[in-house]
Amino acid sequence: MNVSLKRIQAIFIKDYKEFSRNYAVSIMILFPIAFALLYRSEAGDQAAIYAFIMNFSLAMLTSFVQACLIAEEKERNTLRSLMMTPASMLDVLIGKSALVFLISAAVLAFSTYLFGYETSNVMLLTAALGISILLYTAIGTICGLYSKTLLEASLSVFPVLIIFTAGPFALVFEEQYPFLEVLRYLPSSQLSELLVAMEIGAAAGELATPLIIITVWAVVLTVISFILYKKRLMDQ
Amino acid sequence: MNAISVQNIQKAFGGNVALKDVSFEIPKGEIFGFLGPSGSGKTTLLKILTAQLEATGGHAAVMEMPSGMMQKTAQKRRFGILTDNSGLYERLSIEENLDVFRRLYDLPKSSIDQVLHFVNLNADRKKRVNVLSKGMRQRVTLACAIIHEPELLFLDEPTSALDPVNTAHIHKGLRYLNERGTTIFLTTHDMTEAETLCERVAILHKGEIRAIGAPDELKKVHRDGTLTVELTSGEKERLSMNEDSATAIAGWMSRGQIDRMYTNELSLGDIFIKLTGSELV
Repeated sequence: MNVSLKRIQAIFIKDYKEFSRNYAVSIMILFPIAFALLYRSEAGDQAAIYAFIMNFSLAMLTSFVQACLIAEEKERNTLRSLMMTPASMLDVLIGKSALVFLISAAVLAFSTYLFGYETSNVMLLTAALGISILLYTAIGTICGLYSKTLLEASLSVFPVLIIFTAGPFALVFEEQYPFLEVLRYLPSSQLSELLVAMEIGAAAGELATPLIIITVWAVVLTVISFILYKKRLMDQ
Repeated sequence: MNAISVQNIQKAFGGNVALKDVSFEIPKGEIFGFLGPSGSGKTTLLKILTAQLEATGGHAAVMEMPSGMMQKTAQKRRFGILTDNSGLYERLSIEENLDVFRRLYDLPKSSIDQVLHFVNLNADRKKRVNVLSKGMRQRVTLACAIIHEPELLFLDEPTSALDPVNTAHIHKGLRYLNERGTTIFLTTHDMTEAETLCERVAILHKGEIRAIGAPDELKKVHRDGTLTVELTSGEKERLSMNEDSATAIAGWMSRGQIDRMYTNELSLGDIFIKLTGSELV
């Protein structure tokens, strides 16, 4: 596969300029920060509250912004113009995802600092959040590629936001409704489990399982986003 | 060597046939015009040639490679495309839009100045695209398509939104590109554009090529075999090309009564109507 750093950089710079001038989308970076400030003084289960902020931020910032960036390119036919240049599928997807990845990473790190979350295993937390950003970026790409307009894309992210953010909370009804156990395998539930396990100092095996499940989600959704992009190269 | 070779291309969308056994060849270095009304299959063919659409049957080769290969990075450097669907980045300036394409094609910064001069937009380079008129946007889109001086240029209605002055400027630029070796595949509704710019044209109607050739050749083939003599008295005589007419003309000439004389040729628009029964709109 043909990958060029120069072309990735061209797409990254272009997206950065567009993002910084599109206030309707760039305002999303304020949500995680506002949530971190809002919940920082909450007493109780710090890991669970922090997991909620991270899950909400990943859907509301990472997926939403990526879906909007892709859908806007589709709506204005610039994605097709981009596909006609020497930029390969990987150039376009890496270039477009790199901006969202860096913005998400910076905002989540700042939100973590504001919230005051502390962990003994920074490496594991960084890995879990890094993989989660990739996963939610792929979800945003899929939402953007499926949508015909920017409005459609922004609406398509809401089911993701509801299911992935509320999923871990719905598990409290698991005993009454056993089918809800399936929600345990959501990446958001796994991130919550991982953070709680880290807080209680669980064994390495218990920490590895959630990370592996999140990674599987990330790989599967990234592959789906690649397949979908390739399909969009051609008219039907 | 052919820049484009199309053999019996067919395309159907469900039960609707868009192209029926279309065949033609375009030698390298030619400006070729594709004429046809909306829905005649022009854009479908353009999409097949640029690998945006798969043909139902037949074979198309571009730069001596199957057209499906046009999505390969090395091939994509060789062609440029402007369609009515080509988009621009609204929040970026003209210069920033061109800079995206310059970087993607790995070109020097001077390529932006050259192409801005080409489309007559040097003075407006800092303007954001979302404040531009339709004609200016069309010129920016064209600039994005030609910034890398492609070997083959696909243009779908390149001057449809332009005023006569800018149309003439673009035509001059396209001829310059062509002189430097760029083959141009042009679809247009503008008969004057086709006649002045294209070495050969094809008339497409309902997915079929009805005529193909140089504009002058087509006019010769479809001329009605008469000539008109305008006399100094103001009378106009329409004559068949035969011996009697020659005698009459000789008589008028000897008396100095002929003001002007010309063969009655159909225009390209007239030929299109004659072949298809449709008006070009």
